Amino acid sequence: MRQLLIEFFDLPANIPVEEITQPAISKWDSLAMVQLITELQNSFSIEFDLEEIQALRSYQEIHDTLARKGVLSV
Amino acid sequence: MENQTLIQYGFIESSKNFGRWWQHSEPRTVEGNFPHGDIVYRSSQQAERGAVTWASMVARGVALLCLRLAFTLVKLNYTAVSLFNWIGRFPELQRNVIVEAVETASLAKVRHALRLLNELTPEQRGRAFILELLSTYNLEPVLPPIELALSCIPSQAQLRLAPLNDIEGHITRSTVAQACDVRVIIWRVEELLPEALYPFSNGFPEQLSTRTEEVVSRVHRLVKLHEAHTPATPLFLSTIAFPVHFSNPLFASQHAIALCGALARINRAIYDIASNHSGVYVFDICRWAALEGKLHADALIDFVARQPLSGRGQVAFAVFLARCLRPLLIPARKVLAVDLDDTLWGGVVGEDGLENLKLGHDFPGNVHLRIQRELLELRNRGILLVLLSKNNEADARQPFDSLPDMLLKWEDFALHKVNWKPKHENLREAAQELGLGLDSFVFMDDSDYEREQMRQLVPEVLILNSSSDPLHTLNCLWTTDAFDSLTVTEEDRRRHDDYRVRADRDVRAHGNDLEEFLRSLQMEATIEELGPANMERAVAMIGKTNQFNLTTRRHSRAQVQAILSAPGSIGLALRLRDKFGDQGIVAILLATRSTQDGTLVVDSFLVSCRALGRGVEDALWAALVERAHEAGIHKVLAEYLPTLKNGIVADLYDRFGLQRVEHSLFSTRYVLEPIEVQPPPGWIQLTKNKKGNAKQ
Repeated sequence: MRQLLIEFFDLPANIPVEEITQPAISKWDSLAMVQLITELQNSFSIEFDLEEIQALRSYQEIHDTLARKGVLSV
Repeated sequence: MENQTLIQYGFIESSKNFGRWWQHSEPRTVEGNFPHGDIVYRSSQQAERGAVTWASMVARGVALLCLRLAFTLVKLNYTAVSLFNWIGRFPELQRNVIVEAVETASLAKVRHALRLLNELTPEQRGRAFILELLSTYNLEPVLPPIELALSCIPSQAQLRLAPLNDIEGHITRSTVAQACDVRVIIWRVEELLPEALYPFSNGFPEQLSTRTEEVVSRVHRLVKLHEAHTPATPLFLSTIAFPVHFSNPLFASQHAIALCGALARINRAIYDIASNHSGVYVFDICRWAALEGKLHADALIDFVARQPLSGRGQVAFAVFLARCLRPLLIPARKVLAVDLDDTLWGGVVGEDGLENLKLGHDFPGNVHLRIQRELLELRNRGILLVLLSKNNEADARQPFDSLPDMLLKWEDFALHKVNWKPKHENLREAAQELGLGLDSFVFMDDSDYEREQMRQLVPEVLILNSSSDPLHTLNCLWTTDAFDSLTVTEEDRRRHDDYRVRADRDVRAHGNDLEEFLRSLQMEATIEELGPANMERAVAMIGKTNQFNLTTRRHSRAQVQAILSAPGSIGLALRLRDKFGDQGIVAILLATRSTQDGTLVVDSFLVSCRALGRGVEDALWAALVERAHEAGIHKVLAEYLPTLKNGIVADLYDRFGLQRVEHSLFSTRYVLEPIEVQPPPGWIQLTKNKKGNAKQ
């Protein structure tokens, strides 16, 4: 999942996960958010509900959301 | 080894790519009724044999790439398939990342592929063009997959996205000066006619009927608006797809004004417009969406961002868009070279005998009959059929003469190469006789050996099928984009007859030797000066000749006269007679004299399609060079300006022995210095030049 975000936002390979947040990454605008939702749904073969898409604003939030959906181990 | 065998099974099965009704990648026997009527398919040991021969012949690297492509086909809906045939000339690295991007539909991988494509040379990347997208919904998130698909055409597409749902406003603001090269309008019922989703809240039926007619009028007005502002820009109108998300679906089909009827009414208007306006085409999203199924849609993203496509839907949509635009950039293939035995009929006529051939209305002869129907349709819309068969000609003709259900006639083939020579040699000869490039050819053969040999020895040729299975071959004919065209002209429909008369006359009596055949035509050419007597024909040819036309300059009569009246210019016409009679003027050459250094510059050089492949261009060129020599000229400049249609003359001047001095996507310039007089081809008798027609 970390790799997915690094590739998606074209981030340095060694970036600490705490720094992967929407406010910290300028490319992470509303268009990128829409594209990221599609990317995550597509990559993990899942569908988000309305509440879940509010909680995809950082590595940690995405990790927790995916873990709750059972596609990542906690 | 066992693993590898299993993988090979997977490839053979999945490469059949029959669409959504047969998507599995494990070896098994399939039996059932399939959507195309009477065909029942049984696959078992045939696939096994195919797998083993394939594995033994194809280099491992290529096989692995194909394997990945094949698995992709299973995952993706079939409209994405076309793209893999387009990228054959990209380097392996780029091909691999494109395949991965399309396979995963991952945006990160799409962007990665786009970055790597940027590293290619402009020549590899193809023609640049500006595409304008006008949409009622938000296409911005979909732009990267669209850019990738268009890059695979190949082309360098620059995308312009008009402001959201402001179609008329944007068209009104556009001017010829900033015109795009292609404009595509994309809309859907949610914005165009939302009332149709809730008919009973919107005055069903009267009020809804009125609203539907208003939309139809809007479409007509919009096309007029486009034509008024940017008349030369091709316009694609999308049809309206039946939405994935709506309620009361059964009723939607029960009334002319309910949802399905209303959309059909609008779509019908769009098809009407396309058939009545040249330059307006249909981007048939309705057909695409029906084939893709509901997995192309994502309701959540639609609510979040007014963008209705899922990740995979975006890629499939992009590839479909690219396939629709591709005919504007890449000429379609012109010839299908086909095998006889186990293709046109089941069995081998020379071995099994006529009475044991399988062809007719029962399985499996019905598959072969359907293949024949496809070929006949191709022939009737302008694709030339060439027969390439290792057979005795008497055996090969037998089924055409006496097999009761035979649909194709011997004469439906523009050329017959029925002999025991290697097929690649026969195909090269056919290309020469038809006057067409090898990259105009598609090859279809049930033999793995023949296909592989053709692939290796004539890489320009597109191989249609990849297994010996007749249903697979038929499926390739259904899905191939090699012959895609947006229009079919009268000229296309007559093409077969034109070529056959030219290339196949008496081939039987004269064997296959091209020169001998040409000699048998007893051609006599007369070189005439362009003048009043032949001006009308010359101007007509300049206006309409597309294929053998080096520069495609559409001079008016006044322009031709202006060129001829300049000092030192040369205008020649070639009149041809053969044993069938007077063919009239079939070739034109116009050249001007540089006022600075006296160099002769070829302005236009064209040969009528009726006279291709006979060497008249050689005769006319020889005449020009001789004139130049007589006039004391030391240097001739010439150029080739590529268009969508004139690929057959791309290397004409190379063949004439001129030196290339400059080469780009848009032109190749040549020089002939010093002047060397060449004899005209021996099979054309040149009669004494007429100089009776004075210049105007």
